Amino acid sequence: MSIKDLTSMAEAQVELREEINNRLLRLQNELSDYCFQCAKCTSGCEAHKLLELEPHKIMALLKRGLIDEMVNSDVIWTCMSCFKCRERCPQKVSPVDVLFALKNLAVMGGKQIPGNYTSMLQSILSMGLIQDVQEVQTRDMKTRRREDLGLPRVSKPKDASKFQMVLTKLAVEKV
Amino acid sequence: MKKYTLYPGCVMQTEQYGYELSIREVFPVLGVELVDVENFSCCGEPVKSINQLLTLYLSARNLAIAEQQGFDLFVPCSVCHFALSECKNILDNDGGMRSRVNEMLASEDLEYKGKVGVVHTVDLLYDHVGVKEIKKHVKKPLKGLKIASHYGCHLVRPSEIGRPVDSENPMKIEAVLEALGAETMDYAEKLDCCGGLLLVNLPESALTKTGQKLQAVEEHGFDGLVTVCPWCQRMFDSRQKKAGETVAAKLEVPVFYLTQLLGLAFGLDERKLGLDLNLSPVDKLKV
Ligand code: SF4
Ligand code: SF4
Repeated sequence: MSIKDLTSMAEAQVELREEINNRLLRLQNELSDYCFQCAKCTSGCEAHKLLELEPHKIMALLKRGLIDEMVNSDVIWTCMSCFKCRERCPQKVSPVDVLFALKNLAVMGGKQIPGNYTSMLQSILSMGLIQDVQEVQTRDMKTRRREDLGLPRVSKPKDASKFQMVLTKLAVEKV
Repeated sequence: MKKYTLYPGCVMQTEQYGYELSIREVFPVLGVELVDVENFSCCGEPVKSINQLLTLYLSARNLAIAEQQGFDLFVPCSVCHFALSECKNILDNDGGMRSRVNEMLASEDLEYKGKVGVVHTVDLLYDHVGVKEIKKHVKKPLKGLKIASHYGCHLVRPSEIGRPVDSENPMKIEAVLEALGAETMDYAEKLDCCGGLLLVNLPESALTKTGQKLQAVEEHGFDGLVTVCPWCQRMFDSRQKKAGETVAAKLEVPVFYLTQLLGLAFGLDERKLGLDLNLSPVDKLKV
């Protein structure tokens, strides 16, 4: 099982892609019904000043059906997951979760995954954690390992092959 | 001794040892026994942008493992705490989703029943242990230190799934700090993000966020900043130098885990609290 299976979901995943598309269409309808463009989400957005993310504009474009354009844009990857938009939207629209759905769709469509997501995912597949145990430095530049500090062994999946099997299933089955 | 299962997540147990060390030192003093369990995995939140279902499954898997122990689950990482709370919320309200997730969990002989409670460092201290009990153990009060609180986004929001603190005006960390004898003060940037989750794909912007908040903390005249999440600490403390370079400022803000400050106030050994692992200039503060 490779990253590709889990992310691009290969060609056999037409069904899953359809499901996601349907979900987004439903989303579009819901957005049209609920989002009244008050821009409260954008006013508190942590990524707004720094990266020009404007969640209310994304919602507006989705309402007009510009889903593919949004899926393929880089701006959806600038969200910091601060959840202010979800907390503060008076209409219970959750722009942050809409962004998660768009990013998932981008990944499924085979768009190149930005940054180090791939290595985190690879690490989850191989050992269950986003990274292996690290050696760290003290303030006076001495190296310390986890075991030097008297900490117990890390907790991670006991049966790695079983764990991987489920993740594979997760990639090919509809949930 | 009240028992909790400790869920270590990824970041704390693979690099943020100061948090884990201080947690393991401080909670037994407060009558809390921590139980270690094998077989946990990532909570899934860090890869939610890639596959939301993977996130939900991983969270459910960890909750199912915790259920087998029968104690509430202590989750010191705010990102993990958010993921597990959100997962609980979904599976407890959506029977269809619960049975589908359980079908997959069955291949690892696991089942989610919805029986385990999830607590974070802040509510464990404030709501379960209580300020009164904390005060009893203070041997070296943090007199004269003015500390800024950083709550971190995932601990604070969204209130609809139940968070340990108020979503717009959280005060529990301040209450604990005051019990230790420290001074606290509200500041405009208190709820600003550390940038941590953006480090994976937009490190410059992430570090700018970190640097800007640290600058604000300095300008307000605080003696230090306190965090309760390994993602936040790895930005404000582990990467403070880089954050300073990014915003072209020399930053010198001592940054501590709340549990490290508890330990110091309790008179515990600095080394045992992992204080030598903080990379920010914590020596500036003489406690
Ligand atoms: S806060 Fe809600 S209703 Fe207002 S623009 Fe944003 S998504 Fe739409
Ligand atoms: S969660 Fe993302 S989109 Fe929403 S306010 Fe925060 S940074 Fe902006």
